[in-house]
Amino acid sequence: MAEELVRMEHISKFYGRVQALRDITVGVRYQEIVGLLGDNGAGKSTLIKILSGVVQATSGEIFLHGRKADIRTTTDAIACGIETIYQDSALVPQLSITRNLFLGREPIKGFRLFNRMDHALMDQAARALLLQVGVIKDIPPATAISALSGGERQAVAIARALYFDSELIILDEPTNNLGVAETRSVLNFVRNARDTGHSCILIAHNIHHVFQVVDRIVVLRHGTVVADDVDPRKTSIEEVERIITGPDAAEPAESSRGTNRGLE
Amino acid sequence: MLKLVKVEAGSPLPVRRPSRLLRLLARPEVGPLILLVLELSAFGTIRPLYLSPFNISNVLDFTVELGLIALPTTLLMIAGEFDLSVGSVFGFSAVLMWTLFNSGATSLGLAFVITLAVAGGIGLINGWFVTQVKVSSFLVTLGTLLVVRGAALYLTQGFPQRTWSAAGSRLAAVLAGEIHIGRFHIYMSLFWFIAAAIVLHYVLAETKTGNWIQAAGGNPSSALARGVNVGRTKMVLFVLTAMMAAASGIISSIRTSAANPNSGTGYELEVIAMVVIGGTALTGGRGTIIGTVLGIFILRSMHSGLVMIGVPGLAYEIFVGAIILAMVALQAWLDRRQQAEG
Ligand SMILES: Nc1ncnc2c1ncn2[C@@H]1O[C@H](COP(=O)(O)OP(=O)(O)OP(=O)(O)O)[C@@H](O)[C@H]1O
Ligand SMILES: [Mg+2]
Repeated sequence: MAEELVRMEHISKFYGRVQALRDITVGVRYQEIVGLLGDNGAGKSTLIKILSGVVQATSGEIFLHGRKADIRTTTDAIACGIETIYQDSALVPQLSITRNLFLGREPIKGFRLFNRMDHALMDQAARALLLQVGVIKDIPPATAISALSGGERQAVAIARALYFDSELIILDEPTNNLGVAETRSVLNFVRNARDTGHSCILIAHNIHHVFQVVDRIVVLRHGTVVADDVDPRKTSIEEVERIITGPDAAEPAESSRGTNRGLE
Repeated sequence: MLKLVKVEAGSPLPVRRPSRLLRLLARPEVGPLILLVLELSAFGTIRPLYLSPFNISNVLDFTVELGLIALPTTLLMIAGEFDLSVGSVFGFSAVLMWTLFNSGATSLGLAFVITLAVAGGIGLINGWFVTQVKVSSFLVTLGTLLVVRGAALYLTQGFPQRTWSAAGSRLAAVLAGEIHIGRFHIYMSLFWFIAAAIVLHYVLAETKTGNWIQAAGGNPSSALARGVNVGRTKMVLFVLTAMMAAASGIISSIRTSAANPNSGTGYELEVIAMVVIGGTALTGGRGTIIGTVLGIFILRSMHSGLVMIGVPGLAYEIFVGAIILAMVALQAWLDRRQQAEG
């Protein structure tokens, strides 16, 4: 068995003429939480979007359990056991917790042609999950997502990843806009996910959050990997910040090349 | 549909509930239901004949024809799209079918099948532009509205088509045959409408497809990220809407013995009004078939009621507009209340 759950090799990505990623090679081991850091526009989201099938790499390969994987769509990624949790777009606000949990993978009951969802099973599983993830245990699963707080929404999204037993859970800025308690519970879920056998990639701008949970830090700058084995137990936050921003007097060559800097 | 599922007593979950009354009121169908009841009792009190079998039968005739368009439009709007071309498809389909038949080119049955297929094609074109070219459905279907209406006028050179030759045809009887039950005279189209309402309600509330329709309108990008085929879901709904608009136009032409290339003009707005009054969010993601059925009856029974109490038919739109404003305000208020409680 391969030592790594996922390995991305020589990944490059162009958006038109803008190069977002250049020759990226990174891996995620089994039961490991990897923190993916980098400034705005460094390419973090692009990298994980490639992994979750939202966009396709211009070149490069992805390996799962050491075998080459062909991830072209989000459905492919989900089928490969890769679950992605975005800050804003993970859930459908008008739908209930239950319906969100099973969106895209609704269990069908009876004659397939009738396409009838198994409401009983869905409700039962939803209730069990809500109990399991704790913070939202007093909310009925029929509640619409729009009535939940940001942290509760993250909890639902994470519960979904746990339920479908994804091998790799990707979280892109899951702690944005969250309060102290909610952030803590999201970080707890991530830890919990690892301890129950999942691997995670965590993207966050708050380095303190990342330091609290990750096993290893990978840093991207201008679409390239500038560090891929930073141990948060042996490295100071200041040091990591320096890696993220790069050498202080950024060589003019680098900044003038800045086509891949954020348009934000 | 957002069902407020009951959690049985003794379940492991301590339930955080909004008040019972508010939960009931929060059901999107309640506002329209109250409005319909008020309306029927008001008109019924002023003009007892309003609730006579004769008048009810008369109202039903055309109501269910518009309803056949409003039902699929509900699903389309929940999925976040509009179809402004339904009125044109309504008029075009009737003249296309009768032109094919009257010219002796095909049998009536074949003309019917061809017409439905052509309408499906129009739906495909709408869906293709919206999902593949990524143009707003408002603009796309505004385009097809004009193209299809133009085609109907060109095909007929502006003249109505003969339809009476259908007398005695089995197809005509199945689609729009007249039946007398006691003092009611009803058309077969009523049963088609009921069947369509049941099937589409089932699809929306119970099936995976229904979940996808709501997700496609509620948050397309997250639906996509979950592996929901948003494009195909919308495509199917565009085709369904166009085909049901065509069936409605054909049924109407059989009932009224007239296939006029101009008929159906303005129906698109009345249909959207019905759907919105029924509680479907104009922005997509939320709505119910039951609400739309109520919306259909609210508007059509109001039309008949106004005529019966002597309000000029031309004033109808004033009331439609006022009711839309009132219902939309009510929905917004309920949403805020629910959020405050939730
Ligand atoms: N859809 C797109 N079309 C064109 N360019 C894009 C697109 N998405 C991202 N980019 C560009 O690719 C580069 C990397 O963007 P990406 O979103 O991956 O950054 P990020 O590291 O996630 O940044 P942030 O921390 O701000 O979220 C940026 O220069 C950005 O402008
Ligand atoms: Mg990002």
